[in-house]
Amino acid sequence: MLIHMRDLHRVYELGAEKVHALAGVDLDIERNEYVAIMGPSGSGKSTLMNIIGCLDTPTRGSYVLKEQEIGTLSDDELARIRNQEIGFVFQTFNLLARADALHNVELPLVYAGIRHEERRRRAREALELVGLGDRMKHRPNELSGGQRQRVAIARALVNKPSIILADEPTGNLDTATGEDIMASFERIWQQGNTVILVTHEADIAKHAHRAVRMRDGRIESDVRTPITTAARP
Amino acid sequence: MNVRESVGIALQALRANKLRSTLTLLGVIIGVASVIAVVSLVQGLNQYVTNQLTASGSNVFSIDKYGIVFDNDTFRERGKRRDLSSEDAAAIARSGAHVEAAVAQLTAGATVRRRSRSLQRVTVRGVEPDYMLVNDLPIGHGRPIGEADERGRAAVCVLGAEVAEQMFQSLDPVGGEVRVGSLKMVVVGVGERKGSAFGASQDLYVLVPFSIFEQMYGRNRSVEINVRSRGQESFNQAQDEARAILRAKRHVRPGEPDDFEIVTPDMVLDLWKNLSGAIFIVIIGVSAISLVVGGIVIMNIMLVSVTERTREIGVRKALGARRRDIRTQFLIEAITLSAVGGLIGLALGGFIALVLGLLTPLPVYVSPEAVALGLVSSSLVGIFFGAYPAVRAARQDPIEALRYE
Ligand SMILES: Nc1ncnc2c1ncn2[C@@H]1O[C@H](COP(=O)(O)OP(=O)(O)O)[C@@H](O)[C@H]1O
Ligand SMILES: [Mg+2]
Repeated sequence: MLIHMRDLHRVYELGAEKVHALAGVDLDIERNEYVAIMGPSGSGKSTLMNIIGCLDTPTRGSYVLKEQEIGTLSDDELARIRNQEIGFVFQTFNLLARADALHNVELPLVYAGIRHEERRRRAREALELVGLGDRMKHRPNELSGGQRQRVAIARALVNKPSIILADEPTGNLDTATGEDIMASFERIWQQGNTVILVTHEADIAKHAHRAVRMRDGRIESDVRTPITTAARP
Repeated sequence: MNVRESVGIALQALRANKLRSTLTLLGVIIGVASVIAVVSLVQGLNQYVTNQLTASGSNVFSIDKYGIVFDNDTFRERGKRRDLSSEDAAAIARSGAHVEAAVAQLTAGATVRRRSRSLQRVTVRGVEPDYMLVNDLPIGHGRPIGEADERGRAAVCVLGAEVAEQMFQSLDPVGGEVRVGSLKMVVVGVGERKGSAFGASQDLYVLVPFSIFEQMYGRNRSVEINVRSRGQESFNQAQDEARAILRAKRHVRPGEPDDFEIVTPDMVLDLWKNLSGAIFIVIIGVSAISLVVGGIVIMNIMLVSVTERTREIGVRKALGARRRDIRTQFLIEAITLSAVGGLIGLALGGFIALVLGLLTPLPVYVSPEAVALGLVSSSLVGIFFGAYPAVRAARQDPIEALRYE
């Protein structure tokens, strides 16, 4: 079991008011699943993603990632898990504007303490994998939206994490480019990665093999679509 | 942590806006430049003063009624002491086993004239025959004042090189006549040129026999006694002997303080060091203020930078940066900023020191200590004033930071 969540709560306190962003979530995700998390705005999707990605910790309940209870870890330990186990892809790409594609992709390896030449080599590899071998020296503002998101995907993959987490990765892209990006995720999944993505578009969600629907901080439904043999390598 | 990246970001930011950068770093630049210039200058002055004070030989001390006086009361008090006389000097010379020579001298200012030429406020010294020996003042030309001149109250004089030049130009002064005050005197010798000290020529003097000086200016004055010890090792013993001889001669009872003052080059040097130390502290204080102002400006710039880059901080944290990685990054940026200011200040301060060295006779040089002090202080400014922004950056919550617009 990769992810194991039981009775997970996340409560935000706004003055006297308490917002139950997550109100008792039970969720198990196996290695190499491709999960879409869906639901209306404010239903707690991002909160759940943040906790899965160890950017945030639950107020109550248990989250076990790779046999490790996350709720009790220190800031630095959480940072290490984000570095080693999680690859984030954001809706707004979140690339460093001043750095070129290569350096952006290198960043997780910087924090992993990997030496310069090794970093360069692996970042180049990752960029070639997403088809940007000829754009390494370009800065984000010299790239199209789709290219930027591919740089972000390369960055998410470069440290070989256990989970790729994508919060609305196509939200800022046109439909054709979005399909492109989804094809990338498909490939990543086929290579044996675990992919979890948040989306409110059914078209996007159908790429996944499991749809988790949320409402009011709870899981409303959890539907697996059988994996077609054609999809497997 | 990626030091090169952090340094690069800081340099990039500096290059992007040169005017703003210059203004940002101005405090640090001025602070470091003044530290460098002042340290170099004070070191140069110290070197210079030491050279000057030991020029006449470090085994010479002097004795007079006043010593080194700073306040009026002491001055008045010491003025009441019994005068020192040439007999006192003679007694020291006679009885001091470690004393090589001791002479009395008196000083006045006078106008020196020759034909239509005149030189005002020239130091006239009434000196005993051993004066030149004691004070290590070699004769450049002619002869010194001798025993016979003293006994015969001869109207003869030895001119300082500068006086000789002004009065005689290219003529040979020896055998010539000058008027010192109202008295006509025959020049018998010219002192070797000493150059200038503290910006004043050391060759503007006229030496006359002690006896004729007394005749010119009156007898009842307290003399200054110059004593040379036999060697460096007997310097302290010579002082002790001089003290004992004078106390006995002046009937100072045991337990009572001396009624005269012994002044050694070391004492003058110490005095100078105290004085220059005080100047040093004041100016270093001013430099410190501009470093602090520079530091606050850097802190402000760094706080702005932290806010502008909140999202970047969130991204870095999401990718696995620990608090200390973020802290180090911003600290390195702050240190880079202040170090660049420090380097510019160093160049500026070095330039100022160089100019001072060229414009004054001071041996001003930029010492490794000054350079180290400048660079260390500017880096410390970076660390100290960069710390708070860096901690602020490191403390950002990753989710909040990622959501920041
Ligand atoms: N930092 C926060 N402080 C207070 N309330 C929050 C915060 N983040 C999210 N919420 C609230 O938690 C609920 C779930 O938000 P979120 O997880 O962002 O939903 P979704 O991503 O599904 O739109 C919402 O009601 C939202 O207002
Ligand atoms: Mg959301």
